[in-house]
Amino acid sequence: MAARMQQGGRPGGARFAQFKLVLLGESAVGKSSLVLRFVKDQFDDYRESTIGAAFLTQTIALDDQTTVKFEIWDTAGQERYKSLAPMYYRNANCAVVVYDITQASSLDKAKSWVKELQRQANENIIIALAGNKADLVAEQPDKRAVQTADAEAYARESNLLFFETSAKTAENVKELFTAIAKKLPIEQASQRGMRGPAGRPGGVDLGNRQEAGGAAGGPGGCNC
Amino acid sequence: MAGEGTRARPPSTSVSTTSSLMQDVPGAFQASVNTSGPDRSDFVSLSQAIHARRSEYVRPKHIRIKVGSWNVAAYKGAEKDVGGWFVQGMGVAEALAGLKVTDQTQVHGENIPQQAGLDDREDVASQEARYHKKQSTLPRNDPGSIPGDSDIGLYVLALQEVVDINSVSEALRPYTDPSVANKWKDAMSASLPPGYSLIAESQLIGMLLLIYASPDVAKDVQSVSTTSVGTGIAGYMGNKGAVTARIVLGDTTRLVFIDSHLSAGTDKGALERRNWDAAQVVARTKFEPIKDSMGLNQSSGEQIGDEDFAFWCGDLNYRLEGIPGDDVRRLLMLHTRNEYDLSQRSARKIESELRSATEAVKHRVEDRLSVYSNGSSTPSSPARSAHDVRSSIDSRTSTDTPPTTIVDELAVSDDPTSLQTTLLSLLPHDELHQQMKLRAAFYDGWREGPINFLPTYKYDAGSVGVFDSSEKKRAPSWCDRILYRTRRDRLTYETKIQEEDDAKRKDDQMRASGLDHAGNDEEILYELYDPEADGVGEEYDEYDEAGENVVVTKEGFEDSIELEYYTAHQRVLSSDHKPLDAVFKLKYDCVIPELKAKVHAEVAKELDKSENEHRPSVTVVVDRHRSDSVASEENSDSDPATFDGVYFGNVRYATARHRYLTIANTGRVSATFSFIERPHGANTSSGLAPKWINLKLADMPSASSSKASQSVTLEPGDTASAELEVRIFDMHTMHALNEGLQELDDILVLRVEGGRDHFIPVKGCWLENTLGKSINRLVKIPEGGIRKLQRQKPGGSSSRSKSVREGGASRERSVSPPQSLQVSSAPRELYKLTTAIEELAGRVVAEWEMTHSSEEVGAYVLAPWQTHPAWPFDQQCWTERNGMQWQDALGEVSNALDCDEPLEQSLPPELPKMQRLYVLANLLMLFLEHMSDGIITASQWTEIKALMTETETSKRKPSLEEQRTAVQDILAQQPSHNISLIFVTSMLERIIAETTPTKRQKDDLVKKPAGTLRRFTGLGKLSAEVAEEESSLLAMARMFAEVVIRSEKVGSEKARIAVARRKAEVLVLFLRRGEGG
Ligand SMILES: Nc1nc2c(ncn2[C@@H]2O[C@H](COP(=O)(O)OP(=O)(O)OP(=O)(O)O)[C@@H](O)[C@H]2O)c(=O)[nH]1
Ligand SMILES: [Mg+2]
Repeated sequence: MAARMQQGGRPGGARFAQFKLVLLGESAVGKSSLVLRFVKDQFDDYRESTIGAAFLTQTIALDDQTTVKFEIWDTAGQERYKSLAPMYYRNANCAVVVYDITQASSLDKAKSWVKELQRQANENIIIALAGNKADLVAEQPDKRAVQTADAEAYARESNLLFFETSAKTAENVKELFTAIAKKLPIEQASQRGMRGPAGRPGGVDLGNRQEAGGAAGGPGGCNC
Repeated sequence: MAGEGTRARPPSTSVSTTSSLMQDVPGAFQASVNTSGPDRSDFVSLSQAIHARRSEYVRPKHIRIKVGSWNVAAYKGAEKDVGGWFVQGMGVAEALAGLKVTDQTQVHGENIPQQAGLDDREDVASQEARYHKKQSTLPRNDPGSIPGDSDIGLYVLALQEVVDINSVSEALRPYTDPSVANKWKDAMSASLPPGYSLIAESQLIGMLLLIYASPDVAKDVQSVSTTSVGTGIAGYMGNKGAVTARIVLGDTTRLVFIDSHLSAGTDKGALERRNWDAAQVVARTKFEPIKDSMGLNQSSGEQIGDEDFAFWCGDLNYRLEGIPGDDVRRLLMLHTRNEYDLSQRSARKIESELRSATEAVKHRVEDRLSVYSNGSSTPSSPARSAHDVRSSIDSRTSTDTPPTTIVDELAVSDDPTSLQTTLLSLLPHDELHQQMKLRAAFYDGWREGPINFLPTYKYDAGSVGVFDSSEKKRAPSWCDRILYRTRRDRLTYETKIQEEDDAKRKDDQMRASGLDHAGNDEEILYELYDPEADGVGEEYDEYDEAGENVVVTKEGFEDSIELEYYTAHQRVLSSDHKPLDAVFKLKYDCVIPELKAKVHAEVAKELDKSENEHRPSVTVVVDRHRSDSVASEENSDSDPATFDGVYFGNVRYATARHRYLTIANTGRVSATFSFIERPHGANTSSGLAPKWINLKLADMPSASSSKASQSVTLEPGDTASAELEVRIFDMHTMHALNEGLQELDDILVLRVEGGRDHFIPVKGCWLENTLGKSINRLVKIPEGGIRKLQRQKPGGSSSRSKSVREGGASRERSVSPPQSLQVSSAPRELYKLTTAIEELAGRVVAEWEMTHSSEEVGAYVLAPWQTHPAWPFDQQCWTERNGMQWQDALGEVSNALDCDEPLEQSLPPELPKMQRLYVLANLLMLFLEHMSDGIITASQWTEIKALMTETETSKRKPSLEEQRTAVQDILAQQPSHNISLIFVTSMLERIIAETTPTKRQKDDLVKKPAGTLRRFTGLGKLSAEVAEEESSLLAMARMFAEVVIRSEKVGSEKARIAVARRKAEVLVLFLRRGEGG
């Protein structure tokens, strides 16, 4: 009876969950720039290529009750460091695979990352495909090397979230991360007040409460 | 008591980096940061930072809580009255009950709300006249005397005996009959204003607790938990005990409501049982964990005492003690009879009661009245009625001996006819008050409003004021009570107890020591009283700034409560108990979800920002100018301009190369870093670093295979250095490098805790060497050595651009370049090594003889070749072989070999001859051992084996010479192998000759050792020396057979020994060359 009674008032309460997010993609497609835009709302025309993996956190509120905190690992895109990527996507709950819409080859690279993620990463990983540098084609449409429709079709058949973004103009950057947050299993994660459930089984069974105290409780539930 | 204040927060274990983070959060409090694991720490800091800003998102809310208690004694139809008295506030007889707590003197109705309609209220006579069990007994046209309806936010109804608890069938009923509770709920629902909802419900046999909330309050209610404790029969049955509900209001305020029915009875045992019952209820009540505003569950449930406000009501069954029940009945009926007109049945009953009293009783009652009318003796003292029983504040002093008559007790100044005076005279006999004062029950902070109403028990059902007229004539008592307690009350009590204990301890100590050190009182006092250590005042502090009425909640919010009304409903006739209720005004801080969400978002953003800004960061610099001695010799290892990692330059066998990293903390907080395990690819090993790198972090070596190096913590501005050493000594790695199966190309990962990972590419250019090659390949090495060959290869010394896989293939091809036209007859390297050793050994022996001539040296020193027959190839001679110097020397000789340079000259001049010889011997052994197909190949060995078996089985024993010839025929098929063998055997023959005793016979045949041997054969006096020579020969044969001859692996140890012997026999054939021919 008491368990049902719990639902009285505001159900659920606030939810907080933490998830690991990894960015992958060819060098210079703008992974670090997207993170910089998302976390600090800045853009840098001359960014150094990432050698290593940068780590940042960013919290977003989905609604007044739900908060998602991303632990972001921005990886090095250079081919030389490819073998190290598994360290970062291994426990990731979600991934953003980035390509540059002005470089057709970067989409091929993105596709191979998607494949690798689907094979090697967490089974339930949520993958978003981001075609970055959208601002470039806004100015000069002939610069586009990957058609939106093509990438969209690919994303659909591979079950990926898809956005064309610009780290430079901030277009779709927040939307990208929010869309990911919305797809994450917040309910499961927040019940334990911790990081997402990636690969960790079990949890607290909230339905199984014990009536404390002595003899009989009241009859049945209430109609509130 | 200490620690209470933090219990609401998640359980604590560690104070981690979050604490430093918190300093940047505005208003963050520095209470210990509680986490149960790394995953929670972020969450905890977030919720703490939010909590610190609570004033921004809570709004004070004022509500009325009405708590009602009624023992309905299983009377049928009692539920018909509940709405009337409890919801509408009807049925109060103002003349017989004080109302407003805050305005004590006006007990006669001046202060009643809705006073206007009172004139229309049905009189007592007609009310009693229409009394009928199945109908509402409340007076008609009663406008209600106390707040009700929608003025109340929370209705807490505590009923007892909703079923007949004395009936065995009820007590033993295995389930609760829902129809009973439903009857009451239906009655409540019918009376409550629309929108009110039941938020908690609990029943234990006769006890039924129902809590209703207004729509506005209901939405603030969370974490409802109901429990029950049976303390009845056998201490566990539910005929007595309590049902309890805990709710959390507005995310901030814990309320506990206890509906209890304690043991009945008037004797001393019953009293003690009541106290026990109450203690049991406290001890055994446990609530479910609270789910906090962040959706986080408490790890364990709370108990009574953890709440901010508690309300304990019910039929507590405490009686009036030490006073004849009859006196009380009559005395009280003097008051109640005023409610009736004389014609009335109840009035007649009362009158006859009063008349039929014994003379003694009459006398006492009349005495009392006369005392009232006298009114002479006392100055007006403040009305004692205003006292509000607060158990905790009263000291432990026991009550005076109870007086035997009421008269003794009267405060003579009081108005003799006043009900108040009568009640005051009775109250000192109230067991509950006595027990509270004695700290036997309800002492820890519980309090009760002033009792301005008649005892609620026991009346004739159907009457307003006839006390039990049955045979039993039970003494009236205030059985039914409503107590309450704030968190502050409880803490105040605890502090007081603490102080008393301290004082008592101090007293005891003083008394104990007073005999001996009467003069030292002051010192003792000082020693004993340490309020901080004793924990006094810790919790109390929170009240210093808070106002008088403020109750600081467990969550740190400031609430307050005020009792407005405490009264009985005298004109409810349906039970033998009168119901009573209390109205409280509660101010609580209510979390406004929208505001909290806003604060939440802001705090999260601030935390992110501060977290990201205060992330530790280091800069890793590759030191390019600290060169080691070897590097300076070569100009080829300057970093290619494009390479941004650690470049080792040319790396060759056994020679160390060092590079250094400087790691500087360029961030704003201290940074802890370590090298972490890299994922291993197809061609790399796992661990911190590839096998070929020795990693030393801040002068501490780290095993490259471990999971993580030890970590180093740097303060901002500090630096640490890491040393990377490459020394390829391991044959397996060297072979893989030679064969192009592996490259000196890898990536180290330096992790800054809580910061980023740095990738540090490491790379070196491997200089191929001649170890591990086959004779066929060795003979193709041109003059100038293998090094020359490598330099000719396309991209020979800079193969960086190729992936490992490609490198392997191209290396294989490049070993036999098309232009390698000159093919030697045998490996030049082997020739050089063997001749160098032979020559050096000769010099070493000669030198030894010079310096160890036996005449001069007192104690005869044995030469190493005398103790080690396989000298200088026996590893046991190589005493220095584990040193760095040895490895360096080996690297140098090996390099000279690969560059086709003089061997001995490559060694450092300061190295003693003996050590030089050993280094060369070591290299030769390695050279032979790792030669990929050996000098005598496995297939040749198979042939030789077959030959030997044949010889053994044949009747005629062939001479050594014949055997040798036969073996040589087999070897001759591969001339370069044959010649290689001769290099080795002739070197060995030479060394044996040099070192065996015959040498010391200063024979002139030194240059013909075979002849020497023959010459002395058979000479008895030299047989010992011959034996020495023979043992040397055999030892050499055994040692070299192992490295020179290849064969398939054999399984058993026995077979292995047999094969080894056979191999040695073959080698002996060659070493004993002179004998046969
Ligand atoms: N016009 C335009 N330029 C961009 C955008 N995003 C990134 N860039 C530029 O592209 C370059 C590479 O960006 P980075 O963010 O460093 O790329 P990355 O994917 O992190 O590269 P690696 O760290 O080498 O893997 C920089 O010069 C950025 O300024 C964008 O949306 N529009
Ligand atoms: Mg980058």
